[in-house]
Amino acid sequence: MNAARISLAIILLVTAAGIFSQWVAVHPHNLPSGNALEAPSPNHWLGTDDLGIDLWAQICHGAGVSVLVGVSAALLAGIGGSLIGMLAGYLGGIADRITMRMTDMMIILPDLPTMIVLGAFFGPGLINIILVLALFSWTGTARIIRSRILSMKQEQYIAAAQSYGAGFVHLAKTHFIPGVLPIALASIIRLTGRAIVAEASLSFLGLGDPTSKSWGLILNHAINFKGIYFMDCWKWWIMSPLVAILILVGAFAILARENETSAVSAFQK
Amino acid sequence: MREIRTTLSAISMILIHLMIFFISPENALADSRKSPVVINLAGGDYGYPTPFSHYPRGPGIYKMFLIFDSLLEKGENGHIPWLAEKWDISGDGRVYTFHLKKNVQWHDGAPMTAADVKFSFEYFSRHPAVSDDLNIDGKSFIQKIHVTDTHTVSIHVEKPFAPCLGKIGRSRIIPKHVWEAVSDPRTFDDPKAVIGCGPYVLKAYNREQGAYQFAAFPGYWGPKPRVDVIQFVPVSDEILAFHAGEIDLTGVAPDLIKKYADNPDYQIRQNPGFWGYRLILNLEKRPEFRDKTLRQALATAIDRNELVQKVARGAAIPASAGYLPRDHVWYNSRVREYDFDTDRAKALLQGKTMSVDLLISNTRDELRIAELMKISLARAGIHVTVKSVDMKTRDAAIRNSDYEMVLNGHGGWGMDADLLRTVYAGGKSVNQSPFSDAIPGYSHPKINDLCERQHVEMDEIRRRQMIFELQELIAEGIPQIPLYNTTGHVVYRPARYNGWRYMFDHHDMTHNKLSYLTPAK
Repeated sequence: MNAARISLAIILLVTAAGIFSQWVAVHPHNLPSGNALEAPSPNHWLGTDDLGIDLWAQICHGAGVSVLVGVSAALLAGIGGSLIGMLAGYLGGIADRITMRMTDMMIILPDLPTMIVLGAFFGPGLINIILVLALFSWTGTARIIRSRILSMKQEQYIAAAQSYGAGFVHLAKTHFIPGVLPIALASIIRLTGRAIVAEASLSFLGLGDPTSKSWGLILNHAINFKGIYFMDCWKWWIMSPLVAILILVGAFAILARENETSAVSAFQK
Repeated sequence: MREIRTTLSAISMILIHLMIFFISPENALADSRKSPVVINLAGGDYGYPTPFSHYPRGPGIYKMFLIFDSLLEKGENGHIPWLAEKWDISGDGRVYTFHLKKNVQWHDGAPMTAADVKFSFEYFSRHPAVSDDLNIDGKSFIQKIHVTDTHTVSIHVEKPFAPCLGKIGRSRIIPKHVWEAVSDPRTFDDPKAVIGCGPYVLKAYNREQGAYQFAAFPGYWGPKPRVDVIQFVPVSDEILAFHAGEIDLTGVAPDLIKKYADNPDYQIRQNPGFWGYRLILNLEKRPEFRDKTLRQALATAIDRNELVQKVARGAAIPASAGYLPRDHVWYNSRVREYDFDTDRAKALLQGKTMSVDLLISNTRDELRIAELMKISLARAGIHVTVKSVDMKTRDAAIRNSDYEMVLNGHGGWGMDADLLRTVYAGGKSVNQSPFSDAIPGYSHPKINDLCERQHVEMDEIRRRQMIFELQELIAEGIPQIPLYNTTGHVVYRPARYNGWRYMFDHHDMTHNKLSYLTPAK
């Protein structure tokens, strides 16, 4: 549980750094505040990029973008997937079969290449990235929730409620949602980590918002800088977004694992 | 005994002669020549290299030029005789008679004759090539073509005009026996489509990998190819690929020049500034741009020196507001300059603000230019929304005038000054190359008039004067904002290959066909 607490603290810290980036960083994230490619110093903690923009400020601002994209995409996919899963499990029949074939189809499609195509098609932009990520992430949640609902439907208390005329909305509110919440939550946390990596990948490939200053984009600019491997600046310019992604995604992964373990053990009790 | 001695001495003499012959320097050279010279360069897909289906940018155009020759070629100081060994121009400037080289053959062995030249020009007037040079304002300037004999052809033009010889001379010659049966050349991708009479034959092309392989044509009529095989190979990072020996020449960032400067294994060359970025304004989509003061405010609000220092890392020169770059033979240094001054830009705007979309391609340099321009324009009250798309989508948007403001980086800035007419006087060009992209909705009577007059002015001194005046007018009205011209460095290993040469008006040595051929004595 300690690991979960530490992970949560890291996530909260990073989120806070993102929200309060303009206070956490002395320099602006979008304006040059020094010379190009300055090495880390007390004035510029992580140095500057080729335009002379402070990297610490960009990393802090990028934290906000990453968390925003990650959490929004995961919430959208998690809630959407849960709802679809609940409906499919509850209704059964054709609705269930259609939903399951759709999830099969989405599972077969390779995520990243299709996301690249969609990202290129819809154009760069944070909202588009969130929508594309959500579109590819709801299926796993929907399948898990559906199977949980299918097993819940066999429970006698559900059958009893139904015999008293309880409809879907009532059943969902009183039984289904409380029953699937721990699984949905675990799935949302897992999705957040995945979405952050996917956003970084899309931005890194140049399909993100070109001015968003997300970690993927910082990495994209750094790696595309001609001859960076023969210069010293890779040490701060490439490493800072890379380490930031690793820390945040690692924290989400540990939190998801811990949360899943506790959800499973609570379920088994 | 004497006989034996005589025989022995004769044999030893023969042996000595044979040894001398085999170890002579000439022969050693001949031996070294036997191993084929293979040059690898960074690849990328620029289309199938026929005159009708290559991508209309330098790397596409010049790959096609390796296969297809023209009547004239670009040398280091001007046009040089090529398929035409000499030419005469009639007194009234309307008839160009070309005397063709003999013994020129197509890659399939058929002889190249004046009939092919006639056919090529007639075919191009029906089906303009991607890099078309024969249409002016949407109409072919060639009136008729007369074949005098197998090696003499006369081209009659409607009216004399200054850049006529260059335009005819640069047009590719295609084989009549291949193309006469082709009704839609854009879709003709048969192996026969790449039969030319140039020094190289296309051996392999892989669209997905952006890989090309050209081999020297053994029956080439002209200077002997020094490079036996030219390969364009896929690479992810050019500098790393150069170090690994995967490619033989690469552009090098100014920060890395020191690494190569004092090393005799490497040779560094600096490109002339004939490649550049310009910010094109769409006066049709945003009529506000019709206001000259607004355009001047835009030009004043952009810090071009900052772009040069930060994006090009100093390897560029701020572009002239009169468009012709500083390295151009007809550059006018007295044109109005727009020094960066936010306060002055604000004063010109008189408190007005505006929001505008800026379309760019998603290359690193364009993203960085857009980012810096966004910052400096915002200070003056012009709020820019950057939209980045891939290069081909951006190029298509420019052709369809589907943008408010677009950033475009391309070559061709060193060409004949008549390019001012296509860019500023709304001359309709069927040439798809980005250097022909005009400014939508811009028309200035005086500029239009001067563009037309310089076009038909045959006296070079008077024409030069007109071009100088034109640059001053253009700089004053600033209907588009030239940003900077790159003067980047390239590095190569001279021991591996040392034949690299520039054309008189072009920035890239690898684009020069003569780089791969034996130099004329």
